Amino acid sequence: MKIALIDASPKSNNSTSGLLLKDFQKYLVPKTVEIIETSLHKPIVPQDVLAKLEHAETWVFACPLYVDGLPAHLLSCLLQLEKIDWKKSPVQVYGIVNCGFYEGIQAETALHILQNWCIKTGFTWCGGIGIGGGGALGQMPSIENGHGPKAPVEKALGTMASRLVQREAQENNYVSVAFPRFLYKMAAQMGWRQTIKKNGGKRKDLDARPN
Amino acid sequence: MKLIITDIEHFKAPADGDYKVISPHGTIHHCTGCFGCWVKTPGMCVIHDGYERTGIDMGKCTELILISQCCYGSVGPFVKTVLDRAISYVHPDFVLRKGEMHHKRRYQNVITISAYFYGPDITEAEKTTARNIIAANADNYDGLVKNICFYPSAEDLEEIIL
Repeated sequence: MKIALIDASPKSNNSTSGLLLKDFQKYLVPKTVEIIETSLHKPIVPQDVLAKLEHAETWVFACPLYVDGLPAHLLSCLLQLEKIDWKKSPVQVYGIVNCGFYEGIQAETALHILQNWCIKTGFTWCGGIGIGGGGALGQMPSIENGHGPKAPVEKALGTMASRLVQREAQENNYVSVAFPRFLYKMAAQMGWRQTIKKNGGKRKDLDARPN
Repeated sequence: MKLIITDIEHFKAPADGDYKVISPHGTIHHCTGCFGCWVKTPGMCVIHDGYERTGIDMGKCTELILISQCCYGSVGPFVKTVLDRAISYVHPDFVLRKGEMHHKRRYQNVITISAYFYGPDITEAEKTTARNIIAANADNYDGLVKNICFYPSAEDLEEIIL
């Protein structure tokens, strides 16, 4: 079973999508699957990526939520992929969408776009995960004994990996980090203040209203 | 002001009153997720390709009109790129609205959103997704939905008054 893990973040390095795919990979049993790592960071699908996708019977997209949908560059790639005559059994497609908001359900619309794309392309939508609190995942330690702020996310990844290996679909699953929402909100706000100061600005510059 | 964002080149806006049209002209670069529009040049995208001021334009408009091919229930790549590049319309800080986390307002204007989707075979599932996305956009902009329509082709839009 060949599985393409597609990092579809516009960031080529250190993206939360890439991190989530690494975590997802841990739950795929190596003896039964062959993993093909690939990426779509720009609006054009490169030839080498097409070649990799051609050989995979299951595709897992991971991307961030952008303005309540998929990032624009990924929409461009999906349009290109839809036009290709794949000449093989319908690909099984899973999705992992992370958002900066706390509630994973806010990624629902993005997963529905992927599902609609599968129908147009003749592929099989097998479900996905909408993950809230994505902005903090990079700073959170891995879970130990099933506990920790990432535990709900890792559990959802593990469940989807099990389904994938068994060639089963799942209902979309929406999760948030196990971290109080008010603390997540405060931490994010502190982060923006620190970042703008690092960039030479002041805290009040965050409120600018340029004309 | 009405702000019209469309993927139709040379769009002739049949619009009443004051309006601005953003349509394809030259290469548009996609958002890279750098958040520079929040922490380097707050309110404006850091990519200077002629599309960096959409967040500012949104702060001046009362109505946002999206005219786009329907792409699996989403607006198409051009209009989505413009919107992705305009997140500076909102502030990076979070607020809670309707029990969910959204971004704080940067500007005080209230935007009503209209969306005109076109395409030859828009499915009912895609229409549902499109309506949900525009409603979510309105929630995130702290605005309102005015109108969502679907047309079989871009030519069918020539008869509407925006």
